Amino acid sequence: MLKRLLLLAVLAGVAGLGIFWWLTIPAVIAATSLPLYTPNLANGLTTFNAGGCSSCHAVPNQPDRLKLGGGLPIPSPFGTFNVPNISPDPNDGIGKWSEADFVTAVLKGTSPSGVHYFPAFPYASYEHAKLEDVRDLFAYLKTLAPVAGKARDHDVPFPFNIRRNVGVWKFLFMDGKPFMPDAGKSAQWNRGAYLVNSWGHCAECHSPRNFLGGIVDAQRFAGGPNPEGEGFVPNITQKRMSDWSAKDFAYFLESGMTPEGDTAGGSMARVIRNTSQLPAEDRAAMAEYLKSLPPVEGPPRPKKPEKS
Amino acid sequence: MKRVLVVAGALLLSVGAVIAQQDVVKQDQAVMKATGKALGGVLAPMFKGEKPYDQAAVDEALKQLGDTASKLPTMFPASSKGVKVEGDYSPSPKIWEDAAGFKSKISDFTAVVTEAKAKIKDAESLKATFPAIGKACGGCHETFRVKNS
Repeated sequence: MLKRLLLLAVLAGVAGLGIFWWLTIPAVIAATSLPLYTPNLANGLTTFNAGGCSSCHAVPNQPDRLKLGGGLPIPSPFGTFNVPNISPDPNDGIGKWSEADFVTAVLKGTSPSGVHYFPAFPYASYEHAKLEDVRDLFAYLKTLAPVAGKARDHDVPFPFNIRRNVGVWKFLFMDGKPFMPDAGKSAQWNRGAYLVNSWGHCAECHSPRNFLGGIVDAQRFAGGPNPEGEGFVPNITQKRMSDWSAKDFAYFLESGMTPEGDTAGGSMARVIRNTSQLPAEDRAAMAEYLKSLPPVEGPPRPKKPEKS
Repeated sequence: MKRVLVVAGALLLSVGAVIAQQDVVKQDQAVMKATGKALGGVLAPMFKGEKPYDQAAVDEALKQLGDTASKLPTMFPASSKGVKVEGDYSPSPKIWEDAAGFKSKISDFTAVVTEAKAKIKDAESLKATFPAIGKACGGCHETFRVKNS
């Protein structure tokens, strides 16, 4: 009897491991599945700016936002991520990557060696991007100057350093669906919805996260504690932004300035450096979509410091 | 008795210091609010074409910005480090940890304001010069300001 029970336990364990293994296989997009395509460099540049690539991948503390040598440390509750080099350098950057490697990285969050990237790389948003945009972006990145030097390894403690576990995270928090336009809305609204939810990855910071680091869907865009540490990321739904017109949103994305004359600080200052480079009609589209976000109550704001 | 006096004196002094620090914070916030008003209430609407160009209002707004620039170097004394701040923002500890970096951001802002004063004569020159002011604000807020709520 005991023997049988043991056998059963072992079998269950093996089956469990098998399921875990199967569930966490890093997804890959094969080169053979990519149709013939001539990339559009101008759209690659727009995509680069909409995606905010340089916000994280530019070498910190220097003015050239096209120097994509990485190295910025991003603190998080799970450890510190050090942003990698995505310049076309053949050894330290993505110079040797195939187009399929890049498409896989951006849309699936899987590295060329078949390892899960950590979701600090916002592929949970990028997965909604159009394949053509990703290919245009790759072509554009190839035109930039190679930067030598690798970033430090991530400083992520056990158990979060087991990359295979990221597969479970992906299973829980990614839907794998491309962006679906809403036929009932204008073309401009749909363009905005696409930019905000895929490349713009606004929700990655402007939403609260659960204990596994997944976005709390019901409170998407409703703000929360800053995942990078001190401070609070504001609610950008109409709960807090009803005073802003769509024009105010667009001007903010252009200049970083609010209607009150305040200016974006923190990571948002870096975001503005990208959105300010977008075509005006793309900012207007994002603005129209953001203005349409229904009011959602966010997590409670931290208490005001007590009077001392 | 002497001891009581010393203790009471020390207490009074520290209370006074705390009140003084709160005053510094209040003044800082007033300066920043006035700066925001000059930008968001005067210059930005003219930049966007929502309000007609008005040289007198521009001069006054730029005077406010110059005022802010001249106050910034003394607005964050070492004694106000770590003081709890009411309101939307707090000064980042980096102001004191990276004093040189902070100083260079202030000189960026000062240079931009000086240039604006020299250059802005009409709607056209406002259009050309204004974005740099916002950039200088954001350039400093990026590192040296923390959002409370």
